Amino acid sequence: MGVTTALEALSSCSGCEIAILNLGEALIPLLTEQIDIVHAPILMDHKYYGQCGDGGKSLQIPEAVIGIVSGGVSNEEHIEVLQEMRKKCKVLIALGSCATQGGIPALMNGQDSEQSFDAIFQTLSTDPGAGRPDRIVPKLLDRIYGLDEKVVIDLQLPGCPPNPAHIAEVIMSVLEDREPVLPTKSVCDTCPTRRQGKGVVDTVKRFVENADFDPNKPISDMRCLLEQGFMCMGPVTLAGCAKRGVPACIEARVPCRGCFGSVRPKGNQLLDMMNALASNGIDCMSVVDRRSIQRFCGAHGNLRPKKKSAVKEV
Amino acid sequence: MGKVLTIQPVTRIEGHARISIYLNDDGNVEEAYMSLMSLRGFEKFIEGRPAEEVVRIVTRICGICPWMHHTAANKAVDGCFGVTPTLTGHKLRELLQVMAHINDKILHFFFLAAPDFVLGPDADYSVRNVMGVVKAAPELATRVVKMRQLGQMMIDRFAGKAIHPIAAVVGGFSKPMLESERTRLLKDAQILLDFSLYALDYAKNNVFNKYIDVFRELGVINTGFLGTVDRADGSFRLYDGRQRLMKTDGTFVDFEGDDYLDYIGEHVEPWSYGKMPYAKFWNEGFSLDLDAPKGIYRANTLARINVCDQMATPKAQEALEEFRSEFGRPAQATLLYHYARLIELVYACERIIELLNWEGITDTKVRAKVEPKGGRGVGVVEAPRGTLIHDYTTDENGCIKEANMIVGTTHNIGPMNMSVKQAATSLIKDGNYDETILNKVEMAVRAYDP
Amino acid sequence: MSYEPKIIAFCCNWCSYAAADLAGSSRLQYPPNIRIIRVMCSGMVHPEFILEALNKGADGVMIMGCHLGECHYLDGNHITMARLDMIVELLEDFGFESERLSVTWLSSTEPDKFVKAVTEMTERVKKLGPVQGEVQTA
Ligand code: SF4
Ligand code: SF4
Ligand code: SF4
Ligand code: FES
Repeated sequence: MGVTTALEALSSCSGCEIAILNLGEALIPLLTEQIDIVHAPILMDHKYYGQCGDGGKSLQIPEAVIGIVSGGVSNEEHIEVLQEMRKKCKVLIALGSCATQGGIPALMNGQDSEQSFDAIFQTLSTDPGAGRPDRIVPKLLDRIYGLDEKVVIDLQLPGCPPNPAHIAEVIMSVLEDREPVLPTKSVCDTCPTRRQGKGVVDTVKRFVENADFDPNKPISDMRCLLEQGFMCMGPVTLAGCAKRGVPACIEARVPCRGCFGSVRPKGNQLLDMMNALASNGIDCMSVVDRRSIQRFCGAHGNLRPKKKSAVKEV
Repeated sequence: MGKVLTIQPVTRIEGHARISIYLNDDGNVEEAYMSLMSLRGFEKFIEGRPAEEVVRIVTRICGICPWMHHTAANKAVDGCFGVTPTLTGHKLRELLQVMAHINDKILHFFFLAAPDFVLGPDADYSVRNVMGVVKAAPELATRVVKMRQLGQMMIDRFAGKAIHPIAAVVGGFSKPMLESERTRLLKDAQILLDFSLYALDYAKNNVFNKYIDVFRELGVINTGFLGTVDRADGSFRLYDGRQRLMKTDGTFVDFEGDDYLDYIGEHVEPWSYGKMPYAKFWNEGFSLDLDAPKGIYRANTLARINVCDQMATPKAQEALEEFRSEFGRPAQATLLYHYARLIELVYACERIIELLNWEGITDTKVRAKVEPKGGRGVGVVEAPRGTLIHDYTTDENGCIKEANMIVGTTHNIGPMNMSVKQAATSLIKDGNYDETILNKVEMAVRAYDP
Repeated sequence: MSYEPKIIAFCCNWCSYAAADLAGSSRLQYPPNIRIIRVMCSGMVHPEFILEALNKGADGVMIMGCHLGECHYLDGNHITMARLDMIVELLEDFGFESERLSVTWLSSTEPDKFVKAVTEMTERVKKLGPVQGEVQTA
């Protein structure tokens, strides 16, 4: 029998769970020998309120050594589930960028969420007069939180989705009772593109044209996308997505958008990126939408509704 | 009122749902709901984002079918910017989108649904799962895991990311396909096709035949259907075509995605965050009444299999003929979603082989010239869970001004509620219920793959 | 109760801190709302410091450095200038009014200008009121 493990998903897209399945054949020994899943809504039928749904009012999750939670915290039920997981699991792992720093759903933190959530039930196609559901469904919180804003988290495993190899490494590290070995450098550190130093670039282009490259030549022959004038967030993003020696997006010849979050644990990708651009003489104002830069890390107060613009004075 | 049974979480599905069954004092079902518990607000928070970035943001609506959102969004933004993708770009997108269907079907049938059939609906909950399947049928399980991984890695290697893709871009695709890549994909596609035929056979012998009674009874309701068919000959399509809305009696109308608002409306109930699309076109309103539903149609595998005139590939067509001779058109039994899913699996494998053999697939003209501007675009594709619609309007800078989405799963929320009610009412009598019965109620939901 | 804002002032060692010093020893009166942090050069004030100050409960941030052309590290204050537009814009992104930041250039012999800048900034921040929204913890 393996080590007891519980999985939960909060405000998530299930991509993190698919990333676990993407371990491929390594999955079979993992599932049958190394770990023993006691709770995992996507894979098995353990229920919160008893198997017949009449087991009282408080939500129950069995005890486990390893707890893995994906998704951020966006409603009252998520808090309940997360606290129960914390209570029942010895080692609690935040899986994926939603769990570690809010992820894409935390883009909502950049606007008045009350108003927005109401508007979702009044679109072009909804029946006139519809309002926001309020029965049975859990109440939404004021914003999306990263897990560590609500409970103590033992291990953070960012990425959208996270790298399956890291998931295996973290689980193995718990089994072997040691620190996991995870990347600490930036995406650029794992990127083989050709860098020639500062170019003549003074503004950033939108990705409405493809990068310049020869498809028959390897990636190491392509010039760095930032140097080609595209916004590439490699410099301010934690490494980890490279599965075949090249960061995943760069492999598709597309610039990085920062899905692993900041290189430094409490860093701020937007600030770092803008500072990097400004320090390199690139006009920051040429970035069309700065919020897009913060798209994976809107928790921890990094994205907030915009205040009215003020008169500038020097 | 008597008791409330709360099945939460609904398990071995991909989203977050809860079933609430209200029993009266005699222990019979008075009401039953399936509520979608999560609300994230994609339609709103993409406002203001540059449209070409949105195609790589909306993927997070679902990590199981990110390619569907990726391609539908790209189509919608093409529309906003008034660009027609190059032919090769268009076909590369289709190739990847159809390839993504393959993994999804393997995942759903074998990992999520199969435990109910391989181990039986009444097996103990602690073993009635994929881990149990691995132990009960290790050979099958290993093969399934391998095949799913093969499908996933074909995408990952060629397009950089299989989950939350980036390689489809406004105007086409981010990189061309090399001849060496094509040869390798073709070889792997052949392996998947063989597997898909095996899977269909396996299921026919070990699932559909064995559980035929369950299939004919559990969660059965009568509804219309929505799917996508080829513009020229009405055959089955996943990536592009026109939409077909069929009534219970088999009559149908076809429409272009751009006009969806004339055909589909969305109803909101206070007990679920999921909106419930219905056929506005039928002008009969919305009702989930089991005996007289109004406006209710279903989407997803069974719907597509029902609405198409024929399959566009030979092996899938053979399978469809057999299916129709047994169950007719339109087939209504809910569990037949599983059967239809495997027919689609065969189609998907055949279709990618077709695309890989198309002579233009390795052409280097993969992306058309694009300029951000104001406009409107509707992008429609068939996602595993149903017809997916993204409708965007951009401002003069090419940033999103307004967005409306009808996500595949939502078409079936109304019908799933009906199936849940049907299953609960017919299985729970006089206060008698147990784990197996409640799992059967969930099986009715699981068939829809929400 | 009248609201007394907290303002963090980053003063460069060579001019503005000296000016503040002189204001003190000359017994000039100025609002007690500022907390001075001495830095070697205004160019050292990384945008993160500003954001951190506001996040941790400051209601306003002042950056004070030498007159342009007089930076003791030659172009430190030009770097500050170059970042300024960016920071002002970013403050709004992070949900702070841009008026919560001010920049002043002054020489070591201008204590009155220092007093004026501090007084004006205090008034300005008072009008804005306390930083809205929660303060980031941990
Ligand atoms: S981190 Fe990414 S893959 Fe994981 S749940 Fe969030 S959006 Fe999905
Ligand atoms: S900026 Fe982008 S392309 Fe350049 S080295 Fe970094 S990750 Fe690679
Ligand atoms: S390149 Fe950047 S955006 Fe792409 S997967 Fe890696 S970290 Fe994420
Ligand atoms: S030393 Fe004063 S601004 Fe540089």
